[in-house]
Amino acid sequence: MNGPTVPDLPPFDRRFFGGHERFTRIGQGAVGGKGAGLLRIHQLLLSHLEPGAFPGCAIEIPTLTVVATDMFDAFMERNRLYDVVGEELPDDRLANAFQQADLPAELLGDLRALVGQVHQPLAVRSSSLLEDALYRPFAGVYATKMIPNNQPDPDVRFRRLVEAVKFVYASTFFASARNYVRMTEHRIEEEKMAVLIQEVVGRRHGDRFYPDVSGVARSYNFYRFGHARPEDGVAILALGLGKTIVDGSLSWSYSPAWPRAAPPFASARDMLHQTQTEFWAVNMGKPPAYDPIRETEYLLRAGLQDAEHDGTLQPLVSTYEPGSDRLSPCMARPGPRVVNFAPLLVHDVAPLNAVVRRLLADGEQVLGDKVEIEFAATFSGDGAFPTRFGFLQVRPLVVSHELVAVESADLRAEGLVLASRNVMGNGVVDGLRDIVYARPEGFEPRLSRRVGAEIAARNDALLAEGRPYLLIGFGRWGSTDPSLGIPVVWGQICGAKAIVEATLPAMNVDLSQGSHFFHNMSSFQVSYFCVRHDGDERLDWAWLARQPAATETDLVRHVRLDAPLLVKVDGRTGCGVVRATAAQGD
Amino acid sequence: MVTASKRFNSFEMAQAQFDHVAGILDLDQATRDLLRYPLREYHFAIPVRMDDGTARVFRGFRVQHNDARGPCKGGVRFHPQETADTVRALAMWMTWKCAVVDIPLGGGKGGVICDPHNLSMREQEQICRGWVRQIVQDLGPQRDIPAPDIMTSGQHMVWMLDEFETIRGGRYPGFITGKPVHLGGSLGRAEATGFGVVFTVREALKELGLRAADTTASVQGFGNVAQNAIKLYQQIGGTVACVSCWDQADQVSYAFRKKDGVNLDALLGIADRFGGIDKQKARDLGYDVLPGEAWLEQEVDILMPNAIEHQITADNVRKISPRVRLIAEGANGPTTPEADAVIREGGVFLIPDFLANAGGVTCSYFEQVQSNANYFWEKDEVLGKLDLKMTSAYVAVSELARKRKLSMRDAAYVIGVSRVAQACRDRRWV
Repeated sequence: MNGPTVPDLPPFDRRFFGGHERFTRIGQGAVGGKGAGLLRIHQLLLSHLEPGAFPGCAIEIPTLTVVATDMFDAFMERNRLYDVVGEELPDDRLANAFQQADLPAELLGDLRALVGQVHQPLAVRSSSLLEDALYRPFAGVYATKMIPNNQPDPDVRFRRLVEAVKFVYASTFFASARNYVRMTEHRIEEEKMAVLIQEVVGRRHGDRFYPDVSGVARSYNFYRFGHARPEDGVAILALGLGKTIVDGSLSWSYSPAWPRAAPPFASARDMLHQTQTEFWAVNMGKPPAYDPIRETEYLLRAGLQDAEHDGTLQPLVSTYEPGSDRLSPCMARPGPRVVNFAPLLVHDVAPLNAVVRRLLADGEQVLGDKVEIEFAATFSGDGAFPTRFGFLQVRPLVVSHELVAVESADLRAEGLVLASRNVMGNGVVDGLRDIVYARPEGFEPRLSRRVGAEIAARNDALLAEGRPYLLIGFGRWGSTDPSLGIPVVWGQICGAKAIVEATLPAMNVDLSQGSHFFHNMSSFQVSYFCVRHDGDERLDWAWLARQPAATETDLVRHVRLDAPLLVKVDGRTGCGVVRATAAQGD
Repeated sequence: MVTASKRFNSFEMAQAQFDHVAGILDLDQATRDLLRYPLREYHFAIPVRMDDGTARVFRGFRVQHNDARGPCKGGVRFHPQETADTVRALAMWMTWKCAVVDIPLGGGKGGVICDPHNLSMREQEQICRGWVRQIVQDLGPQRDIPAPDIMTSGQHMVWMLDEFETIRGGRYPGFITGKPVHLGGSLGRAEATGFGVVFTVREALKELGLRAADTTASVQGFGNVAQNAIKLYQQIGGTVACVSCWDQADQVSYAFRKKDGVNLDALLGIADRFGGIDKQKARDLGYDVLPGEAWLEQEVDILMPNAIEHQITADNVRKISPRVRLIAEGANGPTTPEADAVIREGGVFLIPDFLANAGGVTCSYFEQVQSNANYFWEKDEVLGKLDLKMTSAYVAVSELARKRKLSMRDAAYVIGVSRVAQACRDRRWV
């Protein structure tokens, strides 16, 4: 339950960059799930990766110190914050109450010393104890706050760091986190939070600080495209901070075994619209409106023109040629840029994919399991080799190996509520009696936020009743852009045992294929169905409409069935079906 | 049992310490003559109409030892056995203390011969106001800034501030420190001295290769400094096995021992506002109630004399357990030079008073900065800065001690005295 503790780490000696160690701790408690992952990386880099394995490319853990969980305990107890938590306040009120509390005195000197010598952005990340105890990632459940840390006055930098630590502590008890922990059959009171204070990998370009590439890669992938097999894994890349990927916004997915195989876009023009056009960066410029309880307080979104101005696009893009509806490599000609990472993945201008494959393989060896890694890289000024590959996280992946057979032919069987050959996950679920779905009639993207809020309310109610459910909605689940999908965080839909993302003529977007919630879904073994209205997948809306409603509004319907649904997903074929059992059949 | 009697002359002791360091620094005679005595002294009478209608005259002092580095700073003590020499010594130590933690203040100290236990609040208010009236021309944010000390509190500071502002006409929150937070005091001030002691203890333990969680301490005193030192020391994992305090009724001190660790909150629940612990209630809670000096004789790793001066002497120093590795002087002048020599010979690491207990004046400086700016900081900010200041001062003293093979006390004196001497030279006073 306690996971790695501080004896595994040297104490922070008040020299962040100049000390003997780049990975230190403050306090005496546990280091939490992310901290444990980083210890594994440390072990991996030390034991597996020979220096100079990739010439010109430095692979390292960005400098960090972990504030151990005993500081969280002291913060909570000395400020009597468990009383506040017990009141189940709205997130913003809770965050405000935490901002009013005092950090433990024994922590403050170390934080003050840290900001006294560091003048570049810091990421203040959550590292939860349950995450580690359950061997299960709580990706996107707790907060991460980036701070620019470039104010000339160390007092100001100190205040911003203190506020960020308190915000991360508060996020332990936000509503979505409570729901998430409830799903694990633990109590929120058992949760403890360590905090990682880590340098942000990247370079400064005027008012923006960001890495050239952020990425997530998994060594196993139940969603397949092209020639890729599940064990070939998947990687997702984005320009700028990794928030783009975490938020489920447009990014580039590919199989590390087949880096040259593009995702299935209909045309080059289609690719122009379905690839990344915005990126996240730390705001190094004019201070934003003071808002210590907003996770993105010091972040800004910028466009590709900004990145081009910064000189960071060269190794990441192709250029669209409207005349021929083709892409030309790199940026030799003017024209719309398409972030398809072709210079890296097709022309191998830098060994990014080779590094990813090597770290996935080594990660599997160290953890003895399928893994997920997170990374960020910066390139040298001429866009050649990565000067720095920051290895940010490695986690075990929970992969079901249950043998379930669903072939293409099975998708045409009678009596199916749902059938898709675009399904993530593997296994059989046979106890679902509740379905929550966004009503297709009259759905418009402008209503996505309302749909999300209503679904979150149903999720809370079903969680309280202990009833898992099938969830159906439109567009990319978890997208922060309501025009692309329903903007929810995982905690707002975490009671779902099977999730469907469907398209409609009014929401005809490239589906996320679960990229936002991939890790949560694989951890909890949630199936994820993609159903395009113009494809050969099936979703029987008429059958749904005939089922009795437990609750319904003009946007969301919750039906409760007399007999359970049967959900079957074959991870090898990527095919899955949902069948109504006898009582509901017609 | 130890009584509060004064068997030593504090000022002679302070001068002896200064002479020793002046020799190490090879100071010229003029500088020695300047620094060996206070720049200014005020001795005055404070007539007070008592509650019973009678008039009584109290003796008050203010000593401004040196202000070459900035306005004088120092507490005002109410004590029945106050002497001018004690105040002189304490003023001199304040000069070195401010210099060793490198804050832009000089050293001062004040006092009134009185026993607040036997005075009503109204009578104490009259003493405070009278004390200010006598020397108001030589007090102020740019000249001399008083603070609470033994048996004076934030309430006394408010009375003094009000008298000063009434005479001067205006608001001068930077005139005095140790004010209540709602009247211009600083968050973290209450904790500052005790926490400062433990910040230096923490750094010393690192040097000694000890983990706080593996150590046990005995603490003399149970006033503000001791209480907060115990609090933070326990928070970093240490165990306090014994505390001692003055018993007002019996006029002696007692030690309260619990070998598996005292419970601070429980003791606070049975202590009066001066930190006197109720003996019977302590027994009921399972504490051994021992003679006061027993705090010194405990089988512990750390001793923290956090009460008053002259507590570790040639007479009792050999009663210190061989297990003791560290002494942190939270009080001013708790160790006599003779005892100091024995401690040094025994190889016990000692953090000298004007380094260990400098957290109080450092936070007072923060309070004054905030008051002058009329902009107040969060507690996190105060304590974070305090930790850095104390740690930096500790590291500087420790490194000098190591490089020049000096005791920690001598090294601290060398740093403090040399900074003050340099300021005097820069001003061409000498």
